Amino acid sequence: MKPVLRFLPFVSLLFFSSCDSLFLYNPNQVTLHNGESNLNARNVAALVSQPPPDTLRFILMGDSQRWYDESEEFVKSANKHRDISFVLHAGDISDFGLSQEFKWVNRILSKLHVPYMTVIGNHDIVANGPDAYRKMFGPMNYSFEYGSHKFIFINTNSREYAFDGTVPDVNWLRKELADNPENKDMIVIAHIPPYDNDFDKNLEKEYGELLGNNPNVHMSLYGHQHSFNDGEYYKDGVRYVVTTSMGARGYLKIKVWKGGQEVERINF
Amino acid sequence: MNVLIFKEMSKYLLLILASLSFAAEAQEGPKAKRWYLPDHMKLQFAGGTGFLSGGPGYNSRNKKLETDFLFGYLPEEFGGDALITITGKTTYSPWRVALKNDYYLAPVSIGMYLSYTFGPQFDSKWPAYYPKGYYWWATAFRPGIYAGGKIGREVTMHSRRRGLELYYEIGTYDLMLISYVQNTGFLTPGDILNLAIGLKFAF
Repeated sequence: MKPVLRFLPFVSLLFFSSCDSLFLYNPNQVTLHNGESNLNARNVAALVSQPPPDTLRFILMGDSQRWYDESEEFVKSANKHRDISFVLHAGDISDFGLSQEFKWVNRILSKLHVPYMTVIGNHDIVANGPDAYRKMFGPMNYSFEYGSHKFIFINTNSREYAFDGTVPDVNWLRKELADNPENKDMIVIAHIPPYDNDFDKNLEKEYGELLGNNPNVHMSLYGHQHSFNDGEYYKDGVRYVVTTSMGARGYLKIKVWKGGQEVERINF
Repeated sequence: MNVLIFKEMSKYLLLILASLSFAAEAQEGPKAKRWYLPDHMKLQFAGGTGFLSGGPGYNSRNKKLETDFLFGYLPEEFGGDALITITGKTTYSPWRVALKNDYYLAPVSIGMYLSYTFGPQFDSKWPAYYPKGYYWWATAFRPGIYAGGKIGREVTMHSRRRGLELYYEIGTYDLMLISYVQNTGFLTPGDILNLAIGLKFAF
């Protein structure tokens, strides 16, 4: 009896102090608490309630998958930049596509002084990931406008759909790029760059041309490769910029203004 | 909670109770218990194997080792997705302390399980369009470990010994464990552990 009595208070303390949820029904369950749904739209609303500066500064980070300690370090580093308006997560929020992982990353990134928006990565599509992403962050393809820029987020994780020609949804992208009455500069953000092996080879040309032939697209942002990359890949006036992973402890600080952009690599 | 959930859950409960009484009835015959008949049935709440899971189980001769097969169900109302899971688990309870009035306590149990969740979104073998080793884990199978304890009572009914036990298990599973060991700064044990509560009917 005695060892039990000693053990019980410890057990109850463990639980009532710091747990997300006491009961787990299935690792693949998608049960959200208050404030854990529709995060992209909510964070966009928080952003656009602030007047846009002429020169916009933001951070591009990505691949937080199973690097929670490093992601916390990232937040500390990012919060030192007082001039940024928002943070973009380039996908692979989770490693196993579990809603529990999305919640942990949200717990970390909600400590940022600015709102953050995400694009879906291939690891976020594993198991019940698509359902969890939709409920927690919102649609996989979406866009918002802020100041003189339009930001377009698109699912480019073709391999997860067996390269069936549906991902990325180039018809949706064409419509989004065409819907630009004020001729804003447009930035397309996705997880997998079009020249990567995990991008549908049958859609690469069409995707690249949609960006390259549009006079308002000068830059496109990605993650996935766990290393920095930067270049005018198709020699068509569009700069393809890739950020590294949280595991590699790096991110990009990007400055944009009408017709121009500057990219700075930062390690933390 | 709405009425529909209760209807669904009570249907499920009835099914388990029916199979339980069938197993019990099968033993009422004049012959000794046949080897393939289960020693007990368990009904468990939570623990990663469903909202409710239940099924037959077997004891070792010294009753320290139990092996169970659970059929689990998670309704969409509680899980965001309706999921069916089958689980094999084995539990070792080395000590048994006799208490008053035929009650007893097994202060420590340890165990492990392997569950399989059904659904087209879960894979036991990754499809051919992935390069070898692209993802290293199977999403349909989930192994886990747990520790807990139980309290029980044995009664003799119609010259047959029957037992009822209440148990708890605190556990986690592979993907949480690996997340924890690599992130001991951000994650605490409370982040990866979960609680299961269950009943065991022995006959």
